[in-house]
Amino acid sequence: MSTEPEKLLVVEDLTTTFATPGGPLPAVGGISFNINKNETLGIVGESGSGKTVLSRTIMGLQPRTNVTVTGSVLLNGHQIVGASENEKRKYWGIDVAMVFQDPMTSLNPVMRIGKQIDESLRVRLGMSREAAKARAIELLELVGIPSPERRYSAYPGQLSGGMRQRVVIAIALACSPKLLMADEPTTGLDVTIQAQILNLIDELKERLHMSVILVTHDLGVVATRTSRIIVMYAGRIVEIGDTREVFTNHRMPYTRALLESSPKVTNPSHTRLIAIPGRPPNLMKLSAGCSFAPRCAYATERCHQERPELQSSGAPGHFFACWNPLPASQGAPTS
Amino acid sequence: MLKYVTRRLLMLIGIVFVISIGSFYLIHLLPGNPATVIAGVGATPEYTAKLYKLLGLNRPIYEQYFIWMGNVLHGNLGTSFISQTSVTSVIGAALPIDVEIIVLSQIIAFATAIPMAMRSSRRPDGPLDRVLGASSFTLLSIPPFVVIVMLVLLISIKLGVPHTGPSSYVSLGTDWVANLESLALPAFTLAIGSFVVYYRVLRSDLIATLQEEFITLARSKGISQRRIMWRHAFRPSSVALLGTAGVNIGGLLASGFIVQYLLAIPGLGYTLITAIFNSDYLLVQGIVFVVSVGVVLINFTFDFIINIVDPRISRE
Amino acid sequence: MSDLQDEAPLVEKSEKREPMGVLFWVCVGWIVLNVFGAIFANVLPLQNPLYQNYALVNAGPSLHHLLGTDDLGRDIFTRIVYGSRVSISVGVGAMIIGFGIGAPLGMLAAYRRGRFDAILTTVMYVLLAFPAIIATIAVLSFWTPRSLYKIIVVIGIASIPLVYRVIRTATMAVATKDYVTAAKVQGATDRRILVKELLPNIAPIGISFLLIGVATVIILEGALAFLGLSVNPPTPSWGNMINESRTVLAQNPWLALFPSLAICLFLLGLNFMGDRLRSHYDVTEVKL
Repeated sequence: MSTEPEKLLVVEDLTTTFATPGGPLPAVGGISFNINKNETLGIVGESGSGKTVLSRTIMGLQPRTNVTVTGSVLLNGHQIVGASENEKRKYWGIDVAMVFQDPMTSLNPVMRIGKQIDESLRVRLGMSREAAKARAIELLELVGIPSPERRYSAYPGQLSGGMRQRVVIAIALACSPKLLMADEPTTGLDVTIQAQILNLIDELKERLHMSVILVTHDLGVVATRTSRIIVMYAGRIVEIGDTREVFTNHRMPYTRALLESSPKVTNPSHTRLIAIPGRPPNLMKLSAGCSFAPRCAYATERCHQERPELQSSGAPGHFFACWNPLPASQGAPTS
Repeated sequence: MLKYVTRRLLMLIGIVFVISIGSFYLIHLLPGNPATVIAGVGATPEYTAKLYKLLGLNRPIYEQYFIWMGNVLHGNLGTSFISQTSVTSVIGAALPIDVEIIVLSQIIAFATAIPMAMRSSRRPDGPLDRVLGASSFTLLSIPPFVVIVMLVLLISIKLGVPHTGPSSYVSLGTDWVANLESLALPAFTLAIGSFVVYYRVLRSDLIATLQEEFITLARSKGISQRRIMWRHAFRPSSVALLGTAGVNIGGLLASGFIVQYLLAIPGLGYTLITAIFNSDYLLVQGIVFVVSVGVVLINFTFDFIINIVDPRISRE
Repeated sequence: MSDLQDEAPLVEKSEKREPMGVLFWVCVGWIVLNVFGAIFANVLPLQNPLYQNYALVNAGPSLHHLLGTDDLGRDIFTRIVYGSRVSISVGVGAMIIGFGIGAPLGMLAAYRRGRFDAILTTVMYVLLAFPAIIATIAVLSFWTPRSLYKIIVVIGIASIPLVYRVIRTATMAVATKDYVTAAKVQGATDRRILVKELLPNIAPIGISFLLIGVATVIILEGALAFLGLSVNPPTPSWGNMINESRTVLAQNPWLALFPSLAICLFLLGLNFMGDRLRSHYDVTEVKL
């Protein structure tokens, strides 16, 4: 149709609010972005910034009670928001699949791992028992599990954390999803295993022509593996743009703070990391202004009074939400 | 796994040993000379003396135990001095009835408790959960003997249906339809108590399991709710259920006693109570021993099943 | 653990202790009323529970006989009040023995650990495997002549391992907490820690289990009455009243109905109180 890359996922003004005994809790608000085919998008933010809630809402996997979702999520042409569990079930696994945070809790402890991979193949793709088993073993091999025939009948408890996460990935890949949602896929793993898993996801993305959303609190993880980054704070997007642009030319003070607080190989040894002062805000008591203002060195009266909307930085696709942005091209972190 | 089973087996043997000592010692609780009491009023002194020797009461107590135990190991629990019949054969005739009632009651209890717990746990504190919670709670407070009396009152007296209770027991071999009819009431009564316990245990475990991340993962596979409940949530939630069932079925042997007695169904319970009334002490002793060992074996079996269901347990 | 904390405050809030509710206090009132009736039965303006009025046999409820009379013309209401004495004293008495021995042992074992705990726990587990109900029936059928105190002693002893297990588990959960370690480090005596730190924390579990335990023992006593192993007639107990009613079920359903109602309502009250306390203090369901 056009030369524009096709949009696999279009999110518009997405808001997730939990009903709690203490009143409504806006976990995610006013999120809009999209993903092209074969693209890897990073979503970065501190703990409590709403990354996990956002990724689950996009999948339609939010808890079934006490949650209100508004806005629109078009996944491969299907509207997810407001879809019934039965409709979403048709998209899950095939249009979108998820790699969960903690492989210690995301695998069924009393089910052999082969059966957990088989299930999607047999139920969703209607494969025969033998075909499903053969395919499951292939998948185990694909995600780099040694002697897959033997592992097929192992229980999760008999595998290490890294191996388990590979199994989780194999489960996600079973029906060849178009979009892979990886929610902090390496948080629960040893540092040495983390890179392996990330590289595996990267490699599989190329091989299977998927799009990937990589949710993480670690900027180092997204730096080399994503084409675009979303920076989230208190449930909102505060900066979005091409990865290179965001790293070198960020305008939002929070993005800088995040960059400065993560270690870099290029730093001389004994460089002090700069911690972000204060704590993430209580989502129940958000002020009318910018939610980062209380922790921001550049905050003015206006920041406390009025919430900044996303504005273009001039560079294509680069937007930020700030009243007092860092000067362009000086945004690179001072070291 | 093997190590675990061996350890449990050793413990089982130890427990059976303790039970055998307890059962053996029972007759020494009788006031005065057990032989006099067992022989009953009006027995000749010669008969009492013969019994005294037969029970080995003239020997030291540990020797008496070994003689008794030796007989038990040969399947000889003694001869009733009241009915002059072998205790083993009396028990052998009554036991299948107990087993049948318990099996029937458990089928009813599981077949109702499992689907209801699944329903409840999908919407905790929803209307259905509240209704089931309140009614299971009420049932928890009704003792089985009250249930039986009320059922008899309702069925036979108010509805005028000739109830299939007292003295109408028909053995399975004779006529299986009549047999099921005669056992329906006791099985149903025992099922009520089991249902309440199973429902409550499974419900709370299912609610906990459904919060788990692996359930969200199963959901994200796009499989049906039904499949998630049965294939993913049920098994990891059934450990406490099985443990409870083991203890409960053991207890049923005992609560079944009252139900059997009230409906005059000649199972072990009925036999035991008649034996108590008749002061047939050797029969009481035999039943106590057999039932105790049975309870322990049931618990052991369920422990074993739990290990198969949840491979995490034996690994720890 | 990153974003899971998004939802952490939600969970905490929803698990806030809920109020006890009116029904809980209704149950407390009902149980207190029953106990009061049992204690003061002979002072209260009641009829003689053994007085037989042959002129008025199997009568339904009336002004003079609130709940009617039984097959020997005795007043059912009076007999239910007197009968509660047996049930309540067996329930409370057995639990006093069970808790009096089982609870301190369980607390000590969980607090001391080591060999003391290992040996005691093994012994208790062996005893637990021994079916308590059958042991009770067996001992009571041999230990003649029967009396109320023997019933209390036998059931009480049979309940020790169960109480021991519950209290030990509960204590272990508390004894490993930081504030207990802190108290130890500050040089508090064992006795002080057990009484001041551990006891208040396991008390809710203990009381909740105690109430459900009393209910269970009352059912057991009722069953024993059916087997003729409880107090001998004509002394009324809820169990033997229901048992006696069976022969005249057709003529006088009231005789079965009212004692049944009395025992069920009493048990319901106990169970409800226990359950309420348990969920109030957020204790996981212990099987009994």
